[in-house]
This record gives sequence, structure tokens and C-alpha cells, in this order.
Amino acid sequence: MGYALQTLWHERQRYAPGVLAVTFSAVLIALQCGLLLGLFKITSIPLDQTKAGRGDGVDIWVGSSGTQSVDLGKPIPESYLTRVAGRSGVSMPEFYIANFGNLTKPAGGTELCYLLGSRMDSDARGPAEVLTPELRAALTERGTIVVDESDVERLNLDHPTKRAKINGKEVRLVGTVKGLKSLAAPWVFCSLDTARYLLGFILPADHVTYMIARCDSPERARQVVDQLRQEYPDDMCAYETVEFSTESRIYWLFRTKAGIAIGYAALLGLIVGMVITAQTLYSATAASSKEFAILLALGIPRWRIMWMVLTQSFWVGIIGVMLAYPVCLGLREIARLGNVDVDLRIEIVGGTAIVTCVMALGAGIFALRSVRRIQPMDLLR
Amino acid sequence: MAATLTSPSLRGIHITKTYGDGAKRRVALENVTLDLFPGQVSLLMGPSGSGKSTLLAVASGLLEPDSGEVLAEDQGELRNLWAMTPKQREDFRLRTTGFVFQGYNLFPALTARQQLEIVLKWGGYAGTWEARRQADEMLERLGLAPNRHKKPAHLSGGEKQRVAIGRALVKNPSFLFADEPTSALDWENGQRVMELLRDAAHERGASILVVSHDHRLLPYVDVYYHLEDGHLEERPLTAAGH
Repeated sequence: MGYALQTLWHERQRYAPGVLAVTFSAVLIALQCGLLLGLFKITSIPLDQTKAGRGDGVDIWVGSSGTQSVDLGKPIPESYLTRVAGRSGVSMPEFYIANFGNLTKPAGGTELCYLLGSRMDSDARGPAEVLTPELRAALTERGTIVVDESDVERLNLDHPTKRAKINGKEVRLVGTVKGLKSLAAPWVFCSLDTARYLLGFILPADHVTYMIARCDSPERARQVVDQLRQEYPDDMCAYETVEFSTESRIYWLFRTKAGIAIGYAALLGLIVGMVITAQTLYSATAASSKEFAILLALGIPRWRIMWMVLTQSFWVGIIGVMLAYPVCLGLREIARLGNVDVDLRIEIVGGTAIVTCVMALGAGIFALRSVRRIQPMDLLR
Repeated sequence: MAATLTSPSLRGIHITKTYGDGAKRRVALENVTLDLFPGQVSLLMGPSGSGKSTLLAVASGLLEPDSGEVLAEDQGELRNLWAMTPKQREDFRLRTTGFVFQGYNLFPALTARQQLEIVLKWGGYAGTWEARRQADEMLERLGLAPNRHKKPAHLSGGEKQRVAIGRALVKNPSFLFADEPTSALDWENGQRVMELLRDAAHERGASILVVSHDHRLLPYVDVYYHLEDGHLEERPLTAAGH
């Protein structure tokens, strides 16, 4: 065990505030990022709930040019099918319609909703996997819809006899699903035929919003996406499912300025952590000034002592981060009890570790001021 | 006594050091000349505030005098410490100088062995295993082998001071400066510390300067200097009790 780590352990009470400050920063950053990403998962539900989104095979999504989020797709001609079909390792694309609709509640009043129309057969790549075979069978009837159970009351569809209208056309709720909550406009699941029927002239003839095609492998999907982007840079976009999902979340993260808000909050956490850690390291180093002074008197180079302080700051960072993870996981479980998703993916966990360790090292650099003040002559005064 | 009188290994010539300005000016050392010889322990005594620690600091290259020279033997020649750059002086101290202070100044987290190893490793004297071997050897000589794994909190005052002496001697310095090395110890441990310093001078040929108030140390030294009001004089060893 190095001298730095040994000193840290021996004087753990002295270093505890610094370690806890790092832990505090790491928990704050990881949870804030995780909460926000969890929240913005809602924006990519149409992608995440498909077969490919849940890990069953790899799909590519083709939509209108410049589409940054799945709910922002504009109509594209069905003729684009020929651009995708026929490529080796790519199955015949299927159509997908996604568009806002104006829902009039049975008791009056309107709500904006988001229609998701897809094929309903068991091999289809577009529909949400939570749609059971029974629900899919029911949805094949024109004018039928499924919504999340949390939206039923909001849409005033809490009785089988109640009928709502979307874009002025009557719809019938044939069932509900769980866990597909919306951020603003409720997701409305229906068949392609129903979507076309409800959208009417809003969706031009022979147009859809997306085409979804299954690929043989992730590598092939990547190749096809790259080729399509190269061949048709101006009038369509192409994504892999997971990539489109991430893109959608990031778009809304920044569009809503939530990313900036989280950036400020994380910065605040970092500054608080850094100040406490720096002060802890500074006072710990000052407390050892006589021991360091004798090493300087013996001719030991000052950089050796500085290196030890920086090593200590690094360990403070590592230990702080290690303590933060169980806390984050515990808090995530508590959040889950309230149906709040905290997305602690590897990028967040790893990013938090790097940021907080760099912060601890920064605090160590600050604490080097106390090393510069140590003079061997102090031992004789 | 095994010491032999040869040419001095360290010469302080016409050293003057003052503190403060104007009415607050205080002369700590005035035209002081001091010789240290290899293989000898020199004792520097004097009343409190007489400038003993100042002289030790000037002679060891820690404090620059207002005037005068400190010539110290370094790689076969006498070099003026205060004509060196700070880096050269640091290197000189690293190569040649050991210190023992009244406070033991041991790292609370490190074992007795590690207190010595850190000097050898950080000073670039030895790698991990060689540093360990040399540290163990020194602790053995100091009678501290059974305590090598103990931290300062588990050592007595005498044992701590012996570890501090081991830390100063482990790199085999040509010069050793000790400021009140026995004042925090009982007489039995104080004697033991002085025996160790005397052995280091006589057996290793080191030049040792001990600053103390304690006349009982006189039997353990080869030269006795008295400093008072900034003036230094060498006194015969029989001056104990003066």
C-alpha cells in the first residue's frame, strides 16, 4: 500500500469530509443525469418498445430529412421503399405512421395526442411489444385504439361506452397497456389503416412517416445506414433503432433547456465538492507540514511531497466515487417505488466517476499551496 | 576516542546574521567562525535566544547569513554553500546532510521501517527492496528491530527519537545536525541517543553538530562551543558546570 493511501486510511477521520464531498458530488451528478435521461426515455418510447428496441434483432428507421426525434417525422413518399428494399441483409421494409392528432374527449374538451400506426401481425417490427396478440387483433378493426392506463382518466375514456374523436372521427378504446406513459401528448396505438383513416388529408396519399427494415446484423445495419445517408443526404434520414432513440432523447434534453439546467446543478455540486475536498486536503497537508519539512531539510525534492498530495487527492476521488455508487443504486430503487425511472447507464456512471475524480485532483492541485509554504527552517523556530 | 583531527569538513567563516530592522534589529551571530571535523561530535551550548539554532541553520544550509561563508566538503572539495543555487544546495543536503530535531516529526501513519524507507526511496538512494534492507539494518543497529512494524503512536519517546536518528543516518550522511535531540527525553534515553550520535561520528566519520542546553552531554562530545550574545568561543571539555 502506498504511503499516500496508508496516510489516508490512518487519518481517515481527517479526510472523511473530503471523501464525503466527492460522494455528494458524484451522487448529485449521477442522479440528476439519470433522472433526466429516465424522464426523457418517454420521448423514445415508440422506438424502445419495438422488437429491436428490446434487443430482438436490429432494425433501421428511415424518415424525412433532418428528423431529430421520433415524434418529429414528416411524411415521406412510399416510393422511398425502393431505396431500402433489395439490399442484401435487409428485409422488406414495413410502413409506420406517426403524427399528432386532435382528440376530443367524450365529455368535451380536447387533448393533443400522438398517433402511432403500425402493422399488427406478430412479425411486425413497428408495434410496441406490450401490445398482446388479443389487443393487436382488436386493433385491426378500423377506428380502434389502445392507450396507456395512466392516460385513460385524462382522456375521459374510463367507461367502455364512452367514445372519443380524433380529428373528428370516432374512436373506440379496446384496451390499455402499462408503462408507456407520455410526457405531454398521450401515445395512441393503432393500426396503419386506422392511422391513415384518422389522419385523413393531413397525411398525403401514398405517404408514410417512417419505414422500418430489419437487418441481419448490427454491422450490416450500420453499413446500410451509412450508405443511405451518403446516397440520399437531402431528402431522407436513416438511423439504427438505438441510435434514433438516443438522438430523440438528446434532442428533447437540449430543446427543453433541461440539459442546461442539469449542467448548472451538476456544476454547483462539483464546486461544493471541490471546495470541501480542497479544504480537507489543504488542512491535512498543513497538519503534516513538520514531517514534510524534515524531508525537505534532508534534501528530498519538493515535487515528491506534491506528488503524494496529488496521489491522496486521487484516492479521495476514487473512494468517494466507490461510496457514491451504492448510494445511487439505493436511491434509484427508492425512485422506482414511485414509478420514477433513474437511468444509471454505463455512460453516466463512468462519466460521473471521471468528472468527480478530475474534480478531486483539481482540489489536490489547490492544496499544493500548503506544500509550497513549507520551509525546513520552520522546524528551528 | 577514535576521532582523528584532520582538516575541517565544514567551516563557518565570519558569519553574521541579524534579525529585524532599525530599533528592532537583533544580532544573532556576529563574526562567528566555526569548524566541524569528520569523526567528531561538536556540542553547541548557550543560553536561550543566544543564536544556537540560527548557527545550526546557517551551517546546514537552511538559512542564509548576512555575511560570511560556509564552506562544506562536497565530493572532495570545500564549496561555499551560500554561493550555490537553491537546487544545488538541496542536492547537497540530499547527498550529505542529516537532521534530528527536538520534535521527532515522524509520520503518524508510517511504521518505523517506513520512516527510514521513505528517505531512501524518495531521495533516490535505493529501490523498494534495497531501501527495506538498509532500513532494517539501521533499525537493527539502533536496537529497534522488534519495533520495525510499529507506528509512532506505539513507540516511547526514546524509541521515536531513535527512529528519527535512524532516518537521519540511514543515508549515511557526512554531516549531521541535531537541535536539542535529548531535551524531550529522560536522562537514560538521552544518554542512549548521545551514544548513537557519538558512534555515528566515530564509526562512520560523520561531522556532527549538537545544539543543547544540557551540560550532561559533555562526556559524549569531542568539541564544546559556547555561544552567547552572538559570539562563539571554543571551550575545553572540562568546562562542564561553568
